[in-house]
Amino acid sequence: MSYADVALGLIVLGLSAYLLFGGADFGAGLWHLFARRRTDREVIEHAMGPLWEANHVWLIFVMVMTWTAFPPIFASVMTEHWVPLSLAALGIVARGSTFVFAKAVPDHHVRYGVVFGVSSLLTPFCFGAVATAITTGDGTWLSPAGLYGGALTTALCAYLAAVYLIWDARRLADADAALRFRGYALLSGIVVGVLALPGAALIDVRSPLIIVSAVAGLVSLVLVARHRLLAVRATGALAVVSVLWGAVERAGLDLDAAAAQDTVLQFVFFALGIGALVLVPSMIWLFVLFQRSTEADAH
Amino acid sequence: MSTVQFLAEGAATPADFVAARQQMAFTLGFHIVLASIGIGLPALTLLAEWRSLRTGDRVYAELARRWMKAAGVLFAVGAVSGTVLSFEMGTLWPGFMDKYGQVFGGAFALEGIAFFIEAIFMGIYLYGWDRLSPRAHFLTGIPVVVAGILSATFVVTVNSWMNQPRGFNLVNGQVTDVSPLKAMLNPATPTEATHLILASLMVCGFLVASVYAVALLRDARAGRVDRYHRLGFAIPFTLGAVCAPLQVIVGDFASRFVASHQPAKFAAMEGIEHTQAGVPFKFATIEIPNMLSLMVKFDAHATLRGMDSIPADARPPAEVVKTSFEIMITLGMFLLALAAWWGFAWFVRRRALGRAGRLATRVDLPWKPWFLRLALTAGGAAILAMEAGWTTTEVGRQPWIVYGVMRTTEAVNPSSNLRYGLYAVLAVYAVLAAATISVLRRIRRRPDAGTPQSGPVPVGSAR
Repeated sequence: MSYADVALGLIVLGLSAYLLFGGADFGAGLWHLFARRRTDREVIEHAMGPLWEANHVWLIFVMVMTWTAFPPIFASVMTEHWVPLSLAALGIVARGSTFVFAKAVPDHHVRYGVVFGVSSLLTPFCFGAVATAITTGDGTWLSPAGLYGGALTTALCAYLAAVYLIWDARRLADADAALRFRGYALLSGIVVGVLALPGAALIDVRSPLIIVSAVAGLVSLVLVARHRLLAVRATGALAVVSVLWGAVERAGLDLDAAAAQDTVLQFVFFALGIGALVLVPSMIWLFVLFQRSTEADAH
Repeated sequence: MSTVQFLAEGAATPADFVAARQQMAFTLGFHIVLASIGIGLPALTLLAEWRSLRTGDRVYAELARRWMKAAGVLFAVGAVSGTVLSFEMGTLWPGFMDKYGQVFGGAFALEGIAFFIEAIFMGIYLYGWDRLSPRAHFLTGIPVVVAGILSATFVVTVNSWMNQPRGFNLVNGQVTDVSPLKAMLNPATPTEATHLILASLMVCGFLVASVYAVALLRDARAGRVDRYHRLGFAIPFTLGAVCAPLQVIVGDFASRFVASHQPAKFAAMEGIEHTQAGVPFKFATIEIPNMLSLMVKFDAHATLRGMDSIPADARPPAEVVKTSFEIMITLGMFLLALAAWWGFAWFVRRRALGRAGRLATRVDLPWKPWFLRLALTAGGAAILAMEAGWTTTEVGRQPWIVYGVMRTTEAVNPSSNLRYGLYAVLAVYAVLAAATISVLRRIRRRPDAGTPQSGPVPVGSAR
């Protein structure tokens, strides 16, 4: 295994984390936009808790890794897809700032809500469209494949968020809210399945990962129906992330020619290793503090 | 898409090239203010909290909480405006990233790690307010400040590398023998990083002090004395005032470094048209013979290179560089003068307080309305000085994106319609700036209940 393979592995790992955590944040924004009831919106706001959207760290990680490890790939992707990627970046700006504003001055909530919701839709759509265009190797984000990929990614985010939020709703609100989010999860799960499977066939993804995704998706539907809320987080996440992995496999990236020199990759891996020694324990500490404070809130 | 294509094509149209540069300048100029506050405000908060621990004075604790709350909001906006910059590196300057991304990528990896540490400890600090012992809580703030300074330093190494590219070889146009460490430790890094960090502390210190100067003037008109406002002014203004003279010294080093390493930029800054010996110092209408040679080389008859020694196609736009340099120097001197007065007034006050029969005029010397009125402008002046200095170094490097190695025209995205990207960014950022200011004003007005739940915390979704 070459250094380039390790770098690619880290990038895919970063993308997976961004899809699972950041994606769920986008999805939560979507449900926030469409939620009719105040309780539902409150559950979403509370579950997201924080002010700054730390999950974008995964995106920044992926970008820095890509431009350091595979500079020509980064350059050509950014050149070719600068329009949707710029839109996605502006969506992140709009989302991140409206979110923190709403938290900081709670009485002016409503004004920011719509911007928050719409940008939650725009950003994953653009990312998904670009990812699909890269996967299929032809077309732009506005080609049929791109539009399909955008819609699928947005739906995946919505599904993930709904699955995660059932548990939060039960913890933070009442049984009725939990039931509604369960409904959202079932509905979006079915929509995603209907979108994903024929799509995979159309853009010629032939991978056992499709079966993994489909099975995990079906199991998740059953688990949701049976109120197995913690188990469904795992199977739901697997169903979603295997779509990404299938796309990576379909793209068949051969990056050795584009890879940076070994000295560069060694430096980056070393830095990441040292960084992780500080980051992991401090993240755990923060997480414990945060859990304690939200539990104190809920009571 | 190959490397060669970028080199050959350049921008789609000259207007798109200009738009790309303007967009980068605008978003970076926006971010730099937030980043400065991101470094300075946690430092101010810790200063206040430290005083509160030492003295048990509640006013300090109140200030610390308010500042941290504002720091949280500005951190979030800074995080997203920084994310935009990392997109723009690729969408605007793909040729640059294509060829040299691997040389300075290591610095960005370190920056990312430092930034994440900063974010996590900011979360711990905010959530830990009532959940940790006061001492432990204070200590969790220290990594926020340290990591903030580190992450700024790592980013600046990339810019100093663009001015003094090191740590690689070019063989037949291909980048080889990359050493990320040598790239980061290029000769421009020490002065540039120190200059920028001092600048950001000054921006934050003077800006926060400006806010309280408004309140103090209102108090003065009403004949009130409000200790909260006085301390809210004194702590940040002192931070700025301490940095101001240091900045002048570092700036002097920096300009001498530029004179020896980037003669074109220096000739533009000082408006030296012809290479000559015994160059006079010119500022506005003043002209002192031989002074510039003396200042730069410590020799009144030393020769300095003029713009005529630079090939015509490698000259920066001299007027812009000179004007922005002069703006920076003028405002820097203004801030230095304010800092000197503040030091003097405080000294007089301390001596007067120590004596029997205190002289009210001496004790109140730091709070004279004329001074507060000037201090009110210090925040804006510091921001303007920083932007002017940034313009000096960036425009002074032109036409190179990597000094002497790659032209900016070779780096730009060859797509057409880049200018629409600029318009979109301008529109979104205008709204963002207005909303940020309006939110900060509300934070200032609202009595702070001090509940961390209502405050911002940077952490991922709690799942």
